[in-house]
Order: sequence, then C-alpha cells, then structure tokens
Amino acid sequence: MIADPRAVALRWPDVRVRMLAELALVVTEAPWALSRARLAMLTEDEILHAVTLSAYFGHLNRIADAVAVPLDYTVRHQPPVAESATPPWLAAPTATSCVPSLDLARRPASAAALAAWHAHVFEREDGRLTGAQRSMIARRVGELLGHTSEPSIDVARASSLDHPARSIERSLVTLADQITLAPWQLDDASFAALRAEGFDDAALFEVCVVASTAGVQSRSLVALSALDR
Amino acid sequence: MGLAIVDHATSTGLLRETYDRMLTRPLPPVYRPAHGGAPGIIQAHSLDPALIPKVFGMSSTLNGAGPLSWPERELVNAITSRLNQCLY
Repeated sequence: MIADPRAVALRWPDVRVRMLAELALVVTEAPWALSRARLAMLTEDEILHAVTLSAYFGHLNRIADAVAVPLDYTVRHQPPVAESATPPWLAAPTATSCVPSLDLARRPASAAALAAWHAHVFEREDGRLTGAQRSMIARRVGELLGHTSEPSIDVARASSLDHPARSIERSLVTLADQITLAPWQLDDASFAALRAEGFDDAALFEVCVVASTAGVQSRSLVALSALDR
Repeated sequence: MGLAIVDHATSTGLLRETYDRMLTRPLPPVYRPAHGGAPGIIQAHSLDPALIPKVFGMSSTLNGAGPLSWPERELVNAITSRLNQCLY
C-alpha cells in the first residue's frame, strides 16, 4: 500500500478494500469521476463517510506540506520522499453547479463541524486576506475540482487577473492551484511571489488554509454529486 | 523550509491553551508522539490557534464514529496521504 497505493484499488484480494481504495483515489485525484457503479459493496452511509474522510485528510496533507511538519510518531514503514517532478493532477474538464446525491446532513455532527470550520475561515474579520481574496481563491479551487457557483462581484475580480494591477491576485491563484492540484510541490519557492508582495508567514498560512478548506468542501461536493451522473 | 511552526514548548497564550486542551482529547496511544506535546499535525496549524479546534472538531466526527471501522478509516487516510505524497 505504501509503495503502490493504486495497486490496492486494482488487485487487493478483498473487494471491499479495493472499493474503499478506489474511492479514496478518485476523490483525491478526480472527484468528478466518482461512480456508484464501482462502489457496489458500500452503503450510502459508508460512501458518505469515506468521501468526507478522504477530503478531510487531504486538508491535513496540504497543511503538513505547507509548514513542512516533521513526522513525530512511530511508523512501521517510512513513507517515500515526495517526488516533486510528479506533474499536477488535471483540473476538472468542466465546472458545474453541483447537487449531491448524498448530503453531508446525513452526518449532522460532521456537517456542523464543517460549517463552523468554514465560518471561521471565510467569515472572519481579523484575517489577513480580504473577503474578496478569500472568495476568489475558493471559487478558483472549486472550478479546478469541477464546481462552480453563481457569479459574484468577487468573481468579476478573479476574471480580470491579466490586468497588471492584479499581481497579488495572480499569485494567490497560482498558489491555490498548486495547493489543490500538486500539494507535493509545495516548498519555499511556492511562497516567494507573495512574500515579495509583503505576505508574512501568517498571511501565507491563511492562503493555504483558505485554499485547502475550499478544497475539502468542493472535493466532497463534486464527488457526491458525481455518484449517479 | 516551510511556513513557521510554533511548537508546544514555546507556545503562549491562546495557542498554549489550545494545545493543552487538545492533549486532553481521547487519542489512541499509537498517535501520541514521544515528545509529549500536541501531535505534529496539530502544531502544523499553530499560525491560526482558533482554527485548531475547528479542524480537529471535524476529525472527531469522522474518526470517532462509523460506519467505517478504524482499519477502514486508516485505509482511506493512507491511500489519500500516499496519493498526495505526504508523510502524514
């Protein structure tokens, strides 16, 4: 599993393990491609649990990478070193408004926890980013993963990134893209452009959190909407 | 390399209170780090102390309840982490 996680989805003897591995693989790499037909042995509640868990764990991965946190507990098998040359995952071919086949409301505690988390990240008044910047990042992440919502004034800002005055916004989008599609490539160079614009570690961390939180929501929503498509 | 981390030993104020509170949560022994402080993945969020209970509150709802068993949850987490090429 450590050496070749894809092989688990393809060849593991237990079909239930194969299905859970397949689900985690698709949610992580291409959530718009999740299909219930390949998850026949899992109940709806199990699918919802696994999708939400995989999307959530993706956040932990991204924050761990952003701060380069060292491994501080004992593991039987050391994880391989990240291969920075691995190309980014592809963005979703299209972005649509999503209607989930399974609603996180079936897990009320998780829904409430995610709502509180989202409110902290996107509605805070003491943040280093503006509300417009946070909205722009969230929309960008959503579109990369296959989800779009009604245009807003913030989106109008995001759509004019080729204007020279929008260099900060361009750099925010570039970092959000890497966090979403190639988190293994996060390193000091990832933050250089925004540091040059005056962003300190706290502000850069907020960018990472906004992009990663948006990723948790969009990844779950897109995957759960793709199930019966 | 990476953004700053304020570790448990040097933390103060809200961050220290948050770390201490996180240590009181139920946690399987296998996840407890030898250094005795808050686990590294919690310290990874040190630049936003108020975020920590939000993020790990979500964890409690996913890892503390079914329908997936603990080994199945670990499977999903491990596959996700390997594909993201993350050591966590």
